[in-house]
Amino acid sequence: MVFSRALAVLLVAAAVAPLVLPPFFLQLLTEIAIIGLFATAFNLLMGFGGMVSFGHAAYFALGAYTAALLVKKAGWPVLLALPVTPVVAAAGALLFGFFIVRLSHTYFAMLSLAFGQIVYTVIFKWKGLTGGDDGLLDVWPPAALKSPAAYYYFALGVVGLAMWALAAIVDSPFGYALKAVRENPRRARFIGINVRRHQLVAFVISGAFSGLAGGLFAFYNGSVFPDFAYFTKSFEPLVVALLGGVQSFGGPLAGAFAFKVLEWLISRQWPVYWPLFLGSVVIVVIVVLPQGFVGLLGRRGWARPGQS
Amino acid sequence: MDFVTGLFPWITNGPLITVQVMSGLSVGMLLFLVSVGMSLIFGVTRIVNLAHGSFYMVGAYLMVTLVEVLPAQEWAFWAALLLAPFGVAALGGIIEIGLLRLIYRRDPLMQLILTFGLILVIGTLVLLAWGPDNKSVSRPDALAGSVRILGQPFPSYYLLVLGLAPVVAVTLWLIFYRTRWGMLIRAATVDREMLGALGVNVARLYTQVFMFGSWLAGLGGALAAPTVAVALGMDGDVLTTAFVVVVIGGLGSFAGTFISALLVGLLQSFGILIFPAVSIVLLFAIMAVVLIVRPWGLLGRPEE
Repeated sequence: MVFSRALAVLLVAAAVAPLVLPPFFLQLLTEIAIIGLFATAFNLLMGFGGMVSFGHAAYFALGAYTAALLVKKAGWPVLLALPVTPVVAAAGALLFGFFIVRLSHTYFAMLSLAFGQIVYTVIFKWKGLTGGDDGLLDVWPPAALKSPAAYYYFALGVVGLAMWALAAIVDSPFGYALKAVRENPRRARFIGINVRRHQLVAFVISGAFSGLAGGLFAFYNGSVFPDFAYFTKSFEPLVVALLGGVQSFGGPLAGAFAFKVLEWLISRQWPVYWPLFLGSVVIVVIVVLPQGFVGLLGRRGWARPGQS
Repeated sequence: MDFVTGLFPWITNGPLITVQVMSGLSVGMLLFLVSVGMSLIFGVTRIVNLAHGSFYMVGAYLMVTLVEVLPAQEWAFWAALLLAPFGVAALGGIIEIGLLRLIYRRDPLMQLILTFGLILVIGTLVLLAWGPDNKSVSRPDALAGSVRILGQPFPSYYLLVLGLAPVVAVTLWLIFYRTRWGMLIRAATVDREMLGALGVNVARLYTQVFMFGSWLAGLGGALAAPTVAVALGMDGDVLTTAFVVVVIGGLGSFAGTFISALLVGLLQSFGILIFPAVSIVLLFAIMAVVLIVRPWGLLGRPEE
């Protein structure tokens, strides 16, 4: 009940925001929503599946480049190109995930990083298709969606639907089976859960929604660059989820809010210090607050120390 | 055969291949210094130190400063080469005692993320200390030029790197296999708890190993400084390559790291000749194949 009331307040606040906020803040909120979706998709693996991917930027970039290429090179309309982005990202996640989920823990993270770097290098080197280092520019949505307020509503709608779908997945029998796999893979196997298949399905779903976030980001940003796939980008959803708390569904979204607002506040004044600040926050969170800032709000009952 | 020589005109050029092999081995040797420290730290503490590339970068920057600060004599270069790695070892000691010690019992992935946080912090501190411009270290006069090998020019400084290779490798082998300290390291790689139960101060061993690994990264950075532009992005570049080396060789395996470092060095050297566009993809593709087929690496041990 408390949860749904908070959700209602959030929705009303989001709906009236364009009436009171200047365009700059609408763009910031749009970005928060997109990164929030990316981090929530990532956290389906980390928080609910106990799998940490170090190459999730690859699926974000696959989505972003799919969107940009379809619109720029194939001349597709934005509304048709966007639904394709999760499909392409899911295909990539299926191809790589098939191998990645065979490994566990550190090796899982390393293989995901290796595949992520392969995607990055292909994008970086394939100048003819992707523009290489220069990226692809002028990937704007149609005029009707171009104003900050219009794209804000559009992105918010898409992110809202995607979050609803992710929440439904987490709450489904599949979601519970995934948590069982996280808690104890061997026991999960004994009660008849196909561990690897569940992990692979979770990986593909996570990749698909990361791709959708990438597609939304491409039209928000108006351009795409190889950096979207670089390994440092893969740490963004990780840091965001960690900031917000990986054990709760809403944690990554809250983390995205904190991350982007802090980035704006600090980069505006002291752009040089932003990585220093971010790195210090990550270190402090890990050493002092393993449940993230949401863990501070007294929801300790949800989280079990030492689990992830 | 015509087809092959048409594609790769250098294939019949013996001298060129020789020089290419030698420069590949030099690159591989620098990679070995960085990777063996990373592998050593993983073997003992079970931490994959993503900040290892940052240690390498700090080693190179310290080299820049030391060469500037020391009197402009021929020995200054050598003194700097000797001192810079100790600066990095001190940095490693501070990090191990101040941070890593607090999280050894935690989820390995949290440790991994923490060392990623260190990349950001160290990167910014280096930017603040040395500024955004690229630096360079000039080679000592004796090694500034190049020598001719089978008629092909070859930088003499790389001969130093190549000459140091066997010395460092043999010294490390002696340390690991012929000293008590090395025995403790190998024991810790196999079973840390048992080692602790036998009365060995494992916490101190961790600090020593972490500092030694940092020292090796610093030595790699200091030695590489005259061959590259000392720049802010070098931490990420060397990290990804060292990471590939360590994974291919087997995390925690000394011989595996040595072989795979030389292989990767050669691969980079020839990859540029054969597949200029995809040599990096090739590197990661090999790493992916190794992880799929033998996740514990060529010479590593499977984890229980």
